[in-house]
Amino acid sequence: MPELNAITVADDAAVAVDSVCKVYKRDRQRLVVLDGIHLSVAEGEFLALMGPSGSGKTTLLNLIAGIDRPTSGSVVVAGTDVTALSEAALAKWRSRSVGFIFQFYNLIPVLTAVENVELPLMLTSLTKKERRERALTALRIVGLADRGRHYPKQLSGGQEQRVAIARAIVTDPRIVVADEPTGDLDARSAEEILDLMQTLNQEFHKTIVMVTHDPRAARRAHSQKHLEKGVLLKSEP
Amino acid sequence: MRFLPFIFKHLRKNWIRSGSTACAIAVCIFLFCTLQTFVASLKGFLGQGTTRLITRHNVSLLFRLPNAYEAQIAAVPGVRRVAAANYFGGMRDLTKPDDAFTNFAIEADSFLPMYPEFILAEPERRAFLGDQHGCIIGRALAETFHWKVGDALQLESDISAYRTARPLDFVVSGIYRTDQIRYPGTNESVLFFHYKYFDEATGKKVGVATFRVEIADPRQTGIISHAIDNLFENSDSQTHTETEAQYRASLGMLGWSLIVLLNGIALAVMFTILLVTANTMSMAVRERHTEIAVLKTLGFPNRLVLSLVLGESVALGALGAIAGLLLGRFLINVLPNVPVIGDVVKGFPKMNVPPTIAVVGLGIGLSVGFTAGLFPALLAYRARITDLLRHV
Repeated sequence: MPELNAITVADDAAVAVDSVCKVYKRDRQRLVVLDGIHLSVAEGEFLALMGPSGSGKTTLLNLIAGIDRPTSGSVVVAGTDVTALSEAALAKWRSRSVGFIFQFYNLIPVLTAVENVELPLMLTSLTKKERRERALTALRIVGLADRGRHYPKQLSGGQEQRVAIARAIVTDPRIVVADEPTGDLDARSAEEILDLMQTLNQEFHKTIVMVTHDPRAARRAHSQKHLEKGVLLKSEP
Repeated sequence: MRFLPFIFKHLRKNWIRSGSTACAIAVCIFLFCTLQTFVASLKGFLGQGTTRLITRHNVSLLFRLPNAYEAQIAAVPGVRRVAAANYFGGMRDLTKPDDAFTNFAIEADSFLPMYPEFILAEPERRAFLGDQHGCIIGRALAETFHWKVGDALQLESDISAYRTARPLDFVVSGIYRTDQIRYPGTNESVLFFHYKYFDEATGKKVGVATFRVEIADPRQTGIISHAIDNLFENSDSQTHTETEAQYRASLGMLGWSLIVLLNGIALAVMFTILLVTANTMSMAVRERHTEIAVLKTLGFPNRLVLSLVLGESVALGALGAIAGLLLGRFLINVLPNVPVIGDVVKGFPKMNVPPTIAVVGLGIGLSVGFTAGLFPALLAYRARITDLLRHV
């Protein structure tokens, strides 16, 4: 049975989603994608969001990452109510507070691995040398220090995803959100990526919210939440 | 500035598309600069001599006027100077028409003060006026035939009425230069020699093709023109007097309509290139939906994304404009040496891309880039991340 509106938003939570609804209007149709979601993710938690296609998990992830806005309700991430921010402020907030990992890596093909990782730092006041040093450090963390000069097309899928992870953490955000990060990878590469995400969570204390279809991936998380038809189901330990 | 490498990397990625778009803009700027240089040259040429009239035979230039008319024209109130000037059509070798260049027999004493656009060093002027066989040549002509002061040459006219028993002998007395800023379009490829020598060599029976008339007040052109023509209304050789600009325009190829036509062509080409570039930029942005979404997700503000797309388009425009300017400059210089076209260009006042036209050309290139990129950039600016990601 679905457990509706049952989660209390904790004050010290890294992510606090409260009474969030998301409705799309197409012509005269009203499509409810998220319906009264309450979700709290503690600092340092690794949460897996699961659910069938169309259940609204990516939409919820987008709201947490500040790349979409709810129709109603509030989303507080890293102490900031992202629903109250202007577009420009939201962009600035994203650049500092959240790292995003896509299913299809989405590296910029004309940039090398290190340039891709450096990209978020272009928005900071760091010098070119400082940016490069940080990007190389991030690549070292993901085990690709020696592939910095390679272009995305010269890397395997797993390596591309590692570069994408390096890009997500290079600004040292508190929250990392991942939308099916292993969805496009073979089993071995998927394991490596999940290992890496666990490392980020355990050693670098990143709060991670991951959307996944894969139960094996979800098992790596501290907790799992299930969405169905825009409603959060009862949580599993 | 820190995003310039990012912009150029994108241009390099699709180098065939970037290159062909830059080439299209280059052709546009090249055509613009070349046509406008030609138009500026033409305008300057047509607009010169506001205080000068030309009196010729009423029927056609093929008919000539009696020498005696000169004194009567000079006596008309408002007339300051009069000089006879006949197009000689002289060539070094009549069997080599490619060698043809413009040459005139002039009454130098009054002609040279009337035409300040032909600038001569004082010693050379004195040498020319003092030598009946002397001639002066333009700098471009001197370069073409490697002539220098003191060189002797012979010319024979291709106009049957001007044919003499033997070619006329000349000595280069001076090489005139021009001031293309004050007098744009002044021909640097003309040879001038003494009318008196020409008149005597042809047995003093040829007559005058044109009288160049300098007047004191440019507002009096109409009145003085009528006064001159009225003088000879009842004579065998009636005259037709007009301003120098009208005279040049009446030569056919130098009409203002040509200027309008050339400007029209330039505009049409620019508009076409604008559409092509706009289409290219739209395609470039459409292909990069995901990339724009990624940039926005990473925190790139909408304005920066707009600037990056616009920057790419403007950079393309700038590259094209610079290439077009260089191409235009190069071709205008080499055009006189191209078979067939060169023959036409040689007879025309020396052309050079003026700085103002080059600046306008560069501005057009940048504007084409900006305008073409504006719509795609605005689309990228407005697009929501989630909508862009949905295209993946």
